[in-house]
Order: sequence, then C-alpha cells, then structure tokens
Amino acid sequence: MTGQVAVSGIPELLSACRGVHTTAICCKNRAARVRVGKGDKPVTYEQAHPPHYIAHRKGWLSLHTSNLDGEEGASDRTVEDVFIRKFLYGTFPGCLADQVVLKRRANELIICALMLQRLPPIKIYFLVGYSEALLSAFYKCPVRLYLQTVPTKNVYKYI
Amino acid sequence: MYYSFFLIFLSFTFSNTHLNWVQFSNLHVDVRSDMDKPKISISDEPDTLYKHLSVLVKGHDKAVLDSYEYFAVLAAKELGISIKKVHEPPRKIERLTLLKSVHIFKKHRVQYEMRTYYRCLEVKHLTGSTADVYLEYIQRNLPEGVAMEVTKTRLEQLPEHIKEPLWEMLGEEEKASKA
Repeated sequence: MTGQVAVSGIPELLSACRGVHTTAICCKNRAARVRVGKGDKPVTYEQAHPPHYIAHRKGWLSLHTSNLDGEEGASDRTVEDVFIRKFLYGTFPGCLADQVVLKRRANELIICALMLQRLPPIKIYFLVGYSEALLSAFYKCPVRLYLQTVPTKNVYKYI
Repeated sequence: MYYSFFLIFLSFTFSNTHLNWVQFSNLHVDVRSDMDKPKISISDEPDTLYKHLSVLVKGHDKAVLDSYEYFAVLAAKELGISIKKVHEPPRKIERLTLLKSVHIFKKHRVQYEMRTYYRCLEVKHLTGSTADVYLEYIQRNLPEGVAMEVTKTRLEQLPEHIKEPLWEMLGEEEKASKA
C-alpha cells in the first residue's frame, strides 16, 4: 500500500511525497531448524536437516502405526512420546547425544538412545533399569531401553 | 528376517565403537523356558480350509514395505504356500492445511501430509494350521510403523438343507402323501 508522508509547516517541502510499500508479515518457517551462524556451531545430521527432508534424507524418530490411514490413537501416542523424551532428557542429565528413537512393536515400547560416556557404567545401568521400570509402570506395557554410547557427539557439520 | 537383520545391525554398530567398560547393551535376558517345547496337538476334527488369504500391509515408508514383502514371499515359499498375487494398491495421501501463525495472518498457511503406502499379498489354498503358523510368523516379524490387515476366505461344507433342490423334495412329499 502506498502512503504519502505529509510534511506540515514548511512550504517548500509540501510538494515532496514519499511512497511506502508494506505487506502483511510472512514469517519464515522455524520448525525443527537450526539457524545458520558464524560457522562455529556443531550440528548433528538430525539437526542439520529441516523437516521437509523427512522420508528423503531423514528417517522417523517415532515409529508407530497410529498415523496410518484408518488407524486410531495418534494423539495418545504423541503425548506418550513427548513425555518419554522429556523424561529421558531429565533422567540422563547431559548424556543424550541425539534425539531418542521410539519404536512400538506389538504392545512393546522399544527406546533406542545414543548416549555420551559421561557417567560411570554403574550409574548408567541403574538409570536404565529405573527408567524401564518406571515407564513400564506408567504405560502398562513392556518397555526396553537399548543404549549405544559414543565418546562425543557425532558432528555432521558446523553451521 | 527384517527384525533379526535389524538386531544384527545393532550389535554390529555397537561392537564398532571403542568401548572397554560398557557391555553390549542387551541388558535383558528373556527367560522363556515355556517356549522351548513346541506344542503339537492332534485332533480328529477336520482342519478349516481357506480359499484365499489376503494380507494387506500399510506403512509410511515404501522401502520398509518392499523388504517386508520380500520376507513374506520367501517365508511362503519355504512353507510351500502357493502365492496367488503380490500387488501394490495405490498410495493414499492425507493433506492438512493449517494456519501458520498462532494469531491472525489468515493468508499464510502451512501444509502437512501423511502418506500411507500399501502392499497386498494374496495366497491361496491353505489349511487352517498352515494359515495360523504363517500368519503368526509374519506378524511376529512385523516392523514397527507397519500395520497389517488380514482377510480370510473360508471354504465351508454345503449345509444339509440346501443340498437337494426344493422341487424334488416337494415331489417326494406328494408321493409320500399319495401312498
């Protein structure tokens, strides 16, 4: 839209007019994207790819059948997933190298986590047993936690 | 099998990392003593016969369905089941168009889609026990994120009351009433 800026009081500038173009705000997509920085931010493969690469360069983090055509229970599974991710993020403080992969196979909930070698193994074993027992009690289904430990995070590139 | 292949893959990746002090993370030992003895029961009733068995698998990922179809066809061939047809019904895409912003900005939307790919495996001429064994094997090895629908077409004996045509029965009754 063009607007005219009127300058009052100064007769020589009354004839000057300026056009201003404005549009409604079209925000950039920010979902699941790491914003580009100076080149010093390490980023894993999972974080480096925005969500439109799912099924092309990325896989799925949470595998269940409720999002298929004609299947129910999508909202319940999603809420469970969010809780499990928050729970694991808190139970293993600073130890998760990447997002946790959740798989549901016929009533069983299989959690695959990639961890850093920050805690001594005794503590890790205890935390694994504790989280399995607690999550099985919450969701009334067998929960198994599979771990893989790495010394440092797997950096794909620096953004 | 897709499931056991994945387990082998997990153990392979785990042994590659340079670890001394954390064991292979299969921390659970499944105690399944009752599964060791196979239960074979013999009964005098005739086994149910199936004309067709149609297994429809649905998933988000076509590659997963491809590998599962290969596994199911291989299993059927090993068990000696004759496969009628393996075909791919067309995919269904469910699209949602939602508002991009929390408040106002009606002109700017975001579109999501959920794709469902299908694969249909039809087998013919099965007995009930073969069908049970095959289906149980297939279902125990279903990958996560894949759903299955099974349609069974059973062969039944013709019921007694429609074996003879009705006009012949009426004819016999007339003869019985005359005599």
